[in-house]
Amino acid sequence: MSQIGSFALLLALALSAYSFLAGLFALARPGPGSDRLGETARRAGIAVFAVVFLAALVLVISAFQDDFSIAYIFHHSNRDLPIPYKFAVLWSGQEGSLLFWSLLLSAYGLVLRLRHKTDSRLFAHASVIIAAVQVFFLLLLNFAAHPFAVMQGTLPADGNGLNPLLQYPEMVIHPPMLYLGYVGFTVPFAFALGALAMRYPGEKWIHITRRWTMVTWGFLTCGVFLGAHWAYSVLGWGGYWGWDPVENASFMPWLTGTAFLHSVMMQEKRGMLKVWNVWLIFVTFMLSIFGTFLTRSGVVSSVHAFAQSSIGDWFVGFLAIILATCILFYVKNRSHLQSEHRLESLVSRESSFLFNNLLFVLFCFTVLWGTLFPILSEWVQGHKITVGPPFYNHVTIPVILLLLLLTAVGPLLAWRNTSLESLKRNFLWPAFGAALVGILMIVCGVRPWKDISYFYALMAAMLATLVTLTVISEFVRGGRVISRHTGQGLLASMAHLWRRNTRRYGGYIVHFGVAVVVTGILGTPFNREAEKEMGYGDHMTIGPYTLVCQSYTEEDNPNYSNQWAIINVFRGSRQITTMFPERRFYKASQQTQTIPQIHPTFKEDLFLVRDLYLVYEGVNPETGRPIIKAHLNPLVMWIWIGALVMIFGTITALVPNAVPARVTAPARIEPEPVAART
Amino acid sequence: MIVLVCALVTISVLFYIFYLPGKLHVGPEKTRLVYLRERKEVVYENLRDLNFEYKAGKFPDSDYQAMKSSLEEEAAAILAEIAHLEEATISPLRGSGKGARV
Repeated sequence: MSQIGSFALLLALALSAYSFLAGLFALARPGPGSDRLGETARRAGIAVFAVVFLAALVLVISAFQDDFSIAYIFHHSNRDLPIPYKFAVLWSGQEGSLLFWSLLLSAYGLVLRLRHKTDSRLFAHASVIIAAVQVFFLLLLNFAAHPFAVMQGTLPADGNGLNPLLQYPEMVIHPPMLYLGYVGFTVPFAFALGALAMRYPGEKWIHITRRWTMVTWGFLTCGVFLGAHWAYSVLGWGGYWGWDPVENASFMPWLTGTAFLHSVMMQEKRGMLKVWNVWLIFVTFMLSIFGTFLTRSGVVSSVHAFAQSSIGDWFVGFLAIILATCILFYVKNRSHLQSEHRLESLVSRESSFLFNNLLFVLFCFTVLWGTLFPILSEWVQGHKITVGPPFYNHVTIPVILLLLLLTAVGPLLAWRNTSLESLKRNFLWPAFGAALVGILMIVCGVRPWKDISYFYALMAAMLATLVTLTVISEFVRGGRVISRHTGQGLLASMAHLWRRNTRRYGGYIVHFGVAVVVTGILGTPFNREAEKEMGYGDHMTIGPYTLVCQSYTEEDNPNYSNQWAIINVFRGSRQITTMFPERRFYKASQQTQTIPQIHPTFKEDLFLVRDLYLVYEGVNPETGRPIIKAHLNPLVMWIWIGALVMIFGTITALVPNAVPARVTAPARIEPEPVAART
Repeated sequence: MIVLVCALVTISVLFYIFYLPGKLHVGPEKTRLVYLRERKEVVYENLRDLNFEYKAGKFPDSDYQAMKSSLEEEAAAILAEIAHLEEATISPLRGSGKGARV
């Protein structure tokens, strides 16, 4: 089997190289034969998908067949690994995940090349760029990180097994989501670079890539939140985001990608920010490659960095080539990127997008600086200095609050200029509602003057309310207009409104999701924790809950042995649930893994839901009794609900508008005499 | 067996890539005229959005009138250039049968 996989990878490399070179030649020397040459390049790009798919299929089949003659299967699988995780073997190690990158890229390339009739010349440029990226990954796979390398000497009876951290249901879908996001940014990058290289007139490339970018952003959002949820549910430290370098690696392209999704609207609507947009998508793509490099090179230490290797030099070289290519085409064709309009007022939709973008880029730079600081400090001082959460929180929380303010304000501002009267009309009631929430929190005991974290929580709650109310006001105002014209009820009119402009109103739903996520995060200053060694019948109190240890025991199965406790949870005298915190020892990999238990208190606390989070820390060797750590984390559940709202909003924004845009003008416009124009 | 599979895959792929019967799809090159027509539609869409937001009560009348006239001026300028280019395209076509590239 491994020979077929190896051959498929070599063939894929040859086809990608042909697709790149023949496509490039056809574009550089247009002539009678170049159309046929270009078509063969396009088809070679399509064929790459089939061949890379074959290679990936061979690897997955090898995992199912426990073919430990392949070193990758030996290192990342074992005979007793449950079936769903055998699929996950494909992306659980460095070589497999690079093959998965290549497979996803070829799949995106396949869709792009099949849709070439939309604008064949622009698509041909994008296809060549995608082929170039594909060549890099296939070179890596063939010569630096070969997934079909065979074991030397006697064949082992069983494999090392999958990393225990990855043996969690979400881990079967988290990496594919993240990779779909990373890889997907290649498509808008390819279109942006292609449009710049061919001096493509107009903004249609943005229109073409809009859905690609949104789909990609949606996958990355999903991947980032799944990663956070996995960290919360598996790592057992009671948190969901630790500013780990690999978390940051997925977050940075998300930040610049979000900025891009907003700023392209300025280019589409007003022909502004062309240089900014092109560089934003260039940087987003480079950050995606950088993210893959961080995860796969082992250059930084992280709980998520599942590989250590020397492929870092390849990535650094590739990043240098991408940067040089982007600079080359930018310098050559920068005159093509002149703005058609200037910023007319600081209080306008344009300026809100501009500030939003500057904040996103500042946020990204902060995260990048913190991520690279250990590497930079090692170069300068000879030893690594790690930057921890206090640094990130200190810098990023004010930025997040400002971004939230712009999320609320931006949609209510007019393009070009917004008058004071307009501001009053749009902000009076949302601002009143936000102030009310702030007063309510102070009345309930939140003292923002006592601790900066309480101040941030108060501001976050007020701004999240402001965002929610502005989103509601947008739906209600628009719904009323529709209702007046059609006679439908308000709810039906709001649904009609969304169908007329899914992108805008889907975007508002995403904004609402962001407000819900922030609501979940603002509970952090109110977290509590307690730890106790618990024998039979022992008690521990945390917040209004009393935990009673009913029992503790051990079990064994072919994949792992485990220790777990049975903890009854009481609120007052009423038992509300029983929890089973667990600790596993995976036999094949000889690694230990905690399995925390989480109980959200929806029934007891409704909207102020708290997570009761129990961790089996270990056993006291002297007494043989388990040590249980309890966390009480308010509002965390809203983060996951908010993430679902964001994903739902993204999906609704992708639905085509029900009412196609008419080309008729709303007012009679007389053409100016040409001579009158300069 | 392995050699046979590899040979079959290679032959299929090469056949798909290089066997090109029939006419190929070659899209037209994008001209400034096409770009201006796209731009015109964007400005019209901006006008429709503005009208809708005005009806929704987001702007006072004075703001609306100012924004509307600004957009109408932009649309008029685009329409004028389209008219000019269309005229320039039609005239040489009448004379020489060639399309004007701008």
